[in-house]
Amino acid sequence: MSSSPKARPLLEVKDLAQHFGGLKAVDQVNLTIHEGEIVSVIGPNGAGKTTFFNVLTGVYQGTRGEILFDGERVRGLPSHEIVARGMARTFQNIRLFQDMTALENVMVGRHTRTSQLLLGPLLRTSAFFEEEKATEARAKELLEFVGLKSLVNERARNLAYGAQRKLEIARALASEPKLLILDEPTAGMNPTESVDLVKLVRKVRERGVTVLLIEHQMRVVMDISDRVFVFDYGVKIAEGAPKDVVANPRVVEAYLGKEGA
Amino acid sequence: MTRLLRSRWTFWVLVAAALCLPLVANIVEFPYLVRVGGVVGLFMLLSLGLNFTLGYVGLFDLGFIAFYAIGAYTTAIAMKHHVPAPVALLLAVLVTVAARAALGVTILRLRGDYLAIVTMGFGEIARLTINNLDALTNGPKGMQVRSWRPLAFLAKDPNVQFYLLIAAAVALGAAASRRLEDSRVGRAWVAIREDEVAARLSGIPVQRYMLLAFTVSAVFAGLAGGLFAMWEQFVTPESFVFWESTLIVSIVVLGGMGSIAGVLLGALILAGLPPLMQATLSTEWINYRYLLFGLILVLVTLFRPQGLLPSSRREAELNS
Repeated sequence: MSSSPKARPLLEVKDLAQHFGGLKAVDQVNLTIHEGEIVSVIGPNGAGKTTFFNVLTGVYQGTRGEILFDGERVRGLPSHEIVARGMARTFQNIRLFQDMTALENVMVGRHTRTSQLLLGPLLRTSAFFEEEKATEARAKELLEFVGLKSLVNERARNLAYGAQRKLEIARALASEPKLLILDEPTAGMNPTESVDLVKLVRKVRERGVTVLLIEHQMRVVMDISDRVFVFDYGVKIAEGAPKDVVANPRVVEAYLGKEGA
Repeated sequence: MTRLLRSRWTFWVLVAAALCLPLVANIVEFPYLVRVGGVVGLFMLLSLGLNFTLGYVGLFDLGFIAFYAIGAYTTAIAMKHHVPAPVALLLAVLVTVAARAALGVTILRLRGDYLAIVTMGFGEIARLTINNLDALTNGPKGMQVRSWRPLAFLAKDPNVQFYLLIAAAVALGAAASRRLEDSRVGRAWVAIREDEVAARLSGIPVQRYMLLAFTVSAVFAGLAGGLFAMWEQFVTPESFVFWESTLIVSIVVLGGMGSIAGVLLGALILAGLPPLMQATLSTEWINYRYLLFGLILVLVTLFRPQGLLPSSRREAELNS
């Protein structure tokens, strides 16, 4: 839908690089993501996709280049400030707060949108109670949205794998992001769970959230993406509509080697 | 069980039981019990404090006793300069908080064993400084503290007075801990303990929240130190040795990290048993009291690694 020229750019990455000593994990990456898009990043293992996500979200500082998010420069900002500006993410290896309940996990996700510090809870002020109630209501609403309504009080570690992935998404959504970044959301899922997750990602977009994801299952990529970026050796080697990208000889070469092409 | 421990009723029943102790001591004609109660109370305060850093956030802090010392010496010095006692206590808390915040800013980039070593080092440096800063602290000879008799309308015996004051401080400290635990700040602290990276990327400024827990814990240490100095009317560097820091860590671990009820029970056992054993056991048994003490720790670690009364979350983590 939204690679149309009218859509506003939400994320602009200019000449971004992340080097580790001599290793150019990410190099010379230029790309733009528009509001309302679902964009996939694909590429062989070690292509720099997760490193790219890590630079976007402030886990790494980046070596060079610019990240403009919603018109503001965000490269090198601490992660919590990037989250506050409206970028939230999930992880390739699920990272939940394992011993908190599903509800508490999502409530933690509301951190940047809430403000009570020490005095509110100590004196049990009405402002504190109101904020707690609103946080809880919002968290419950999000758990229902991702389909975990019945598991509100279950500890994260006791949830099934697919449910844990969804809980991570709910926690990320709790920070009210403009851009949701998903690092291999269907990794380790069976086909039914994958289909379920694709539906959820579409629903997320319907809420007005732009989605950027790393994905390995080509069926999912073809099904869900408006556009695809292809990474190889830290460099973006192709971009475009899914069906154009898979027909691109450079992309086939990256995946299968020169002989295969 | 968890619900019972967390209920308001349990809290008030325990407060009532604590208030009865002086009466019981009177009836069984064993006034030493009140002194033991006071000491246990001070360790409860210290352990509730350490529970913020070690329990909720999971920071390994082996020099907590230094802040108890700072609280005690601030009180002693303030009293020497004729500051009214309640103001001296307030000063003790403020100075302790400031010292701990300053230390936190410098060392909270460290984690795990590195943090443990540095805090341990700070504990020793603090003690040695007190030992050698004769002009301010009177060095190893210690300092007299002007007498103060709080709650004189309630009891004549100063031991009972301080026991009641300490009990009130413990009740207040436990209630405050409970309120913070169930709030945005408490969730952020536990989130950091569970997964620091995920906490950061959920929007929590991790460094700042660690510093906050670190600083809040100093309120407890400063207050406990101040009450200790006032009660004993004498402070010496000998009261603040590394062993005491280890004892507080043991209390939190034995009781259950992050569990208020657990920490209180841990203090009751680890700070209460040795003096009671010393007072009641026959002379030939006294020499074995640390052996018994060590045996308790070993058994608990073996059979109940999550602590005696683990917090509900902690219990799940270690049982799976």
